[in-house]
Amino acid sequence: MLDAGPAPLVQVQDLKMHFPIYTGLFRRHTGDVKAVDGVSFQIQAGQTLGLVGESGCGKSTVGRTMLRLYEPTAGRVIIDGDDVASLPPEALRKKRPSMQMVFQDPQASLNPRMTLADIVSEPLHEHTDWTRAQKLERVYELMDQVGLNRRFVNRFPHEFSGGQRQRIGIARALALKPRFIVCDEPIAALDVSIQAQVVNLLEDLQEKLGLTYLFISHDLSMVRHLAQRVAVMYLGRIAELSPSTDLYSRPLHPYAEALLSAVNEPDPELALRRKRIILKGDVPSPANPPKGCNFCTRCPKVMDICKTVKPDLVEVEPGRMVACHLYTAAGSTGASEAPERKNQERNQQGENR
Amino acid sequence: MKLRTALMGAVAVLGLAPAAFAERGADGEVKLTFPQAVSIMNPYLSGGTKDIYASSMVLEPLAGLDPEGVLIPKLVTEIPTLENGGVSEDRTSITWKLLPDLKWSDGTPVTAEDAVFTWQYCTHPEGGCSQATKFEGVASVEALDASTIKVTFDGPKANPYTAFVSALSPVLQKSQFESCLGAAAPTCTDANNMPIGTGPFMVTGFAVNDTVSLAANPNYRDPAKPAFATAVIKGGGDAEGSARAVMETGEFDYAWNTQIPPDSQAAMAAAGKGQFVVAFGTLVERLETNTTDPDPALPEGERSTAKHPHPILSDIRVRTALSKAIDRSILVEVGYGAGGKPTCNVIPGPEGWASDNDGCIAQDMEGAKALLDEAGWIDTNGDGVRDKDGKKLKLLYQTTVNPIRQDFQALIKDWWTELGVEVELKAIDPGVFFGGDPGSPDTFQKFYADIEMYANNSESPDPESYLGQYQCKNAPTPETQWQGENINRFCNPEYDALYATLATTTDIAERQAIAKKLNDMVTKDSMIVIPLVHRGTLSAHSLALGGVQINAWDTEMWNVADWFRVK
Amino acid sequence: MLTFTLRRLLLAIPTLLVISLVIFLLVDLAPGSPMSEIPLTVPPDVRQKMIEALGADQPVFVRYFLWLRQFFWVEPAYVIDHWFGTSLAAGEQRILSWQSRSPVFTIIGQRLPQTLTVIGTAYLVGILIALPIGIYSAYRQYSLFDQGGTLFAMIGFSVPTFFSGTLFIIIFAVWLGWFPTKYDTQLVVNDWESFVKQVKQMALPVMTLGLANAAAISRYMRSSMLDNMTMDYVRTARAKGMSERTVVLKHVLRNSLIPVVTVIALGIPSIFGGAIITENLFGVNGIGAALIGAIRASDLPMVQTLAFIFAVLIVLFNLIADILYGLLDPRIRYD
Repeated sequence: MLDAGPAPLVQVQDLKMHFPIYTGLFRRHTGDVKAVDGVSFQIQAGQTLGLVGESGCGKSTVGRTMLRLYEPTAGRVIIDGDDVASLPPEALRKKRPSMQMVFQDPQASLNPRMTLADIVSEPLHEHTDWTRAQKLERVYELMDQVGLNRRFVNRFPHEFSGGQRQRIGIARALALKPRFIVCDEPIAALDVSIQAQVVNLLEDLQEKLGLTYLFISHDLSMVRHLAQRVAVMYLGRIAELSPSTDLYSRPLHPYAEALLSAVNEPDPELALRRKRIILKGDVPSPANPPKGCNFCTRCPKVMDICKTVKPDLVEVEPGRMVACHLYTAAGSTGASEAPERKNQERNQQGENR
Repeated sequence: MKLRTALMGAVAVLGLAPAAFAERGADGEVKLTFPQAVSIMNPYLSGGTKDIYASSMVLEPLAGLDPEGVLIPKLVTEIPTLENGGVSEDRTSITWKLLPDLKWSDGTPVTAEDAVFTWQYCTHPEGGCSQATKFEGVASVEALDASTIKVTFDGPKANPYTAFVSALSPVLQKSQFESCLGAAAPTCTDANNMPIGTGPFMVTGFAVNDTVSLAANPNYRDPAKPAFATAVIKGGGDAEGSARAVMETGEFDYAWNTQIPPDSQAAMAAAGKGQFVVAFGTLVERLETNTTDPDPALPEGERSTAKHPHPILSDIRVRTALSKAIDRSILVEVGYGAGGKPTCNVIPGPEGWASDNDGCIAQDMEGAKALLDEAGWIDTNGDGVRDKDGKKLKLLYQTTVNPIRQDFQALIKDWWTELGVEVELKAIDPGVFFGGDPGSPDTFQKFYADIEMYANNSESPDPESYLGQYQCKNAPTPETQWQGENINRFCNPEYDALYATLATTTDIAERQAIAKKLNDMVTKDSMIVIPLVHRGTLSAHSLALGGVQINAWDTEMWNVADWFRVK
Repeated sequence: MLTFTLRRLLLAIPTLLVISLVIFLLVDLAPGSPMSEIPLTVPPDVRQKMIEALGADQPVFVRYFLWLRQFFWVEPAYVIDHWFGTSLAAGEQRILSWQSRSPVFTIIGQRLPQTLTVIGTAYLVGILIALPIGIYSAYRQYSLFDQGGTLFAMIGFSVPTFFSGTLFIIIFAVWLGWFPTKYDTQLVVNDWESFVKQVKQMALPVMTLGLANAAAISRYMRSSMLDNMTMDYVRTARAKGMSERTVVLKHVLRNSLIPVVTVIALGIPSIFGGAIITENLFGVNGIGAALIGAIRASDLPMVQTLAFIFAVLIVLFNLIADILYGLLDPRIRYD
């Protein structure tokens, strides 16, 4: 896939996160919730990958598992040369400063009994041997960077507004000068007016500090604005991974198509012409996903093969990867024997459409 | 009984030993434990046995009673009698002579004035003295001289040994209690808790309802006694815990009132650290039959009164049948073990006073059934319950909440059911049952039931006042606020007449004969009272404690001065 | 906070007055008589005299107001006299126990030390056992240790103290002979030997009560820890690269302690209340034993005074728990 250019900063390979289900009197292991079930992607340094999908599709789990906040079931997460998924605990802790996370709920993610200064400087106690003054200086610097008044340094989280809290969350994430930040729906809990401010702040910081983002969101328009490439997730798997402009102008996967049809179109003429695709039924349980394509129960273009064979994520156009039999099998029975890796064939049938 | 004989033997052997090397305070500390803690050390303000026993180590009467129920001098030179002239010929006065050089524990001399004061103290109308009966019939107490006390009665007194006899009626120190007369009595906390006495010990510390600390009285009349330098009475817990502390862990030397189930008694005795001793006084667990009708349908004020005789129990054949159906030996075995004996008497002792009535001991179910048949109670409809004139033979049988009593209820119910009697059981909180609240329907005096079970005893070996309970006039009625001791509402002019002669009879053998007759009149002749078990007080003492002689007629600590450490 | 505290204290006054009246009426209406422990050999007229001497025959409201006056005026006056040598009380009658004729407050004064020592130590021991169990159980939820902790709590909850206490007596006192079964309230600790003796005699009651206390508190601690363990800020702390120790002890534990501390504060009045069964079993003879003894003997002044003091303590410690909550949790403000 990649034959030229610098090695990507972040590489995720076949990442799986299964949460065991225990039932009965003796809490026997009776099944798994397959929150993330074989996800692969990469992010170039200094770029942003958007990760979109509806609630419960596993996108937050991808972010958390990448930073080893969960122990992944399988797969590799290579960040800046180290496989985070398999680092021993102490090495992992040393690695943490280079990868950080901004959380969805700024209220809940800040310890209510710690002041702003404590929250932001705590990682400095752990990972540096700076003096108090140095740490305080760094706290002030970070507050300046995220646009917080220095006077607030000794306040508790509950004394801030939602936007301010998210700025604290960002300052906290930046404290140890990470290279890679997972932004887990950082604006979902904020007022619309504040959302733009926070997004702009993230963009500015990326520009100034050369940060690499994984931007998780269900707000498709915000992702379009921020990300160079976007991955669409459905039920623990990536349905489509494309450059942002391509995806928004011409989604390939039926699910991406349906999802994007729900985005508000600023151009009224286009909006009138556009047809909204309403999906029927509910998302199946990740504990018991369909046998074939995960989307086959709701797909408007479902074919027989979809119900038996899981499609792989393959590059169907340059830079565009889709997991859909429409582009790989095209109804041919010959492909049905290939649930394993068979993406060497490089089918280009997406162009037929 | 075996236990007691064994103990007597032991005491007889050991009792001789200490005299040779006795020295006051040589044996260290003696530790006693009571399941009910001591509340107050003044027996005149408490009726509780625990308080009387504890105070008996400090306060002494003029005369006490030995284990045989015989009077022994304590603070006096001898027991006054008609023969030695101490009791006047007309029996209206008794004169006590104090021992010479008798001192209180604070070193001041004991005088006749102290006894006079004690009489004034207890008979003060506002004092609420709980031992007032001890001074009943006493017209005056005078000090003839510093060591001579004359008690004058308001008439000839057959038994003049009431005032200043036994631990219930000790002598108080006038100078200590002088300001505590009448209404002020309860406010003298220090005096009530740490009275100055003449006994072998004196109080050094008093924690209410917890611990009494005592030390040997330096001014005790026998310079070689007591053998122990200090004593402690620790209260609280339960009978089981007290028994265990003596019999199994050996923490204490003596435990009073360790009434525990027979199987526990055996298990604890097996530990080999101590032994149980039983004091058989006059305590009798009995069934009282109601001679009046407790029917709730009767108007309030007439229920359980002499206006309406009991429809079933008025027939002596029914009462006798109920008694015959009971196997008293099983009751003893289940409830008391060594601490009880089957009995048919309300006066089971002391020897000489107890009737030879033992006709009820053997269970006679067939005889009981025949009696009921004869009385006309026959099971006509085959439902297992006898009936007569369309009325069922059904009885309400009540007692207090107490595990042994509930066992008894269950056993007796079984026997009576076999007899064809339907029995309804009821158990009442002891505080209510004995509380005497005229507003409560559940007091034992009100007797809103057909049969009730409890225990009662005579407080002195001479049962005169105890037998007086069954006089017709003592029946509880609404007019007396339901106070009265004649619980059965027994009314027999013959009994009252014979009782009247008891008060004037002075010859001891004659008195005993009358007492036996009176006993028989309420038991085997009428079966008004159905005695079950002669109960003893079970106490435990360590094998390392010598000199213990259990006593049912006075305090168990009556000879605490003679206790010593077995080495 | 100050106005809040004052307002609460003011509100407590009428509440407590009503409580005192209710207790008084309840105790008075309860069946039983102060004479029920007097042997049957004492005749009725003597009993009546004794009741009159106690003042127990007065109408209930006369006795209630007398008690109010004694409790709020006479007793404090005695305290002031005792401290400053004044003579405010002027020999007025104090609240006297019917059972022992001793002033109720003297009895309480005698009994409080052993109750506080034994029950207080048991409470402390309970907390010290419970917190680590609760913390580790939550941290390793469903592990073998957690299952063990759950079993321990279940036993502590469901086994009554009269049973566990008797069991301990049989094992540790009768079989092993390590500890005494009766508590010596008169023991003065003034050297090493007496200290060892004191520790030994406290061992069994403290063990019995500690087990029961630890059971309850360990469950509170565990569930509070579990609540906080899944909070986002804990994830944040992990993402910061903090060590597990810091994450658990600093972030999770400190926040989890807030509700537990208030539960502990609310339990403190029960220390003063003593433990009726355990005190009785081991002869500790503290406040609990005094209360049950007084109830058995229908000793109204004693029961009333004790019950009222408990009511005051409960109201007070509720307030303290509220204030503590405010102090511990910066999000709570009362004004």
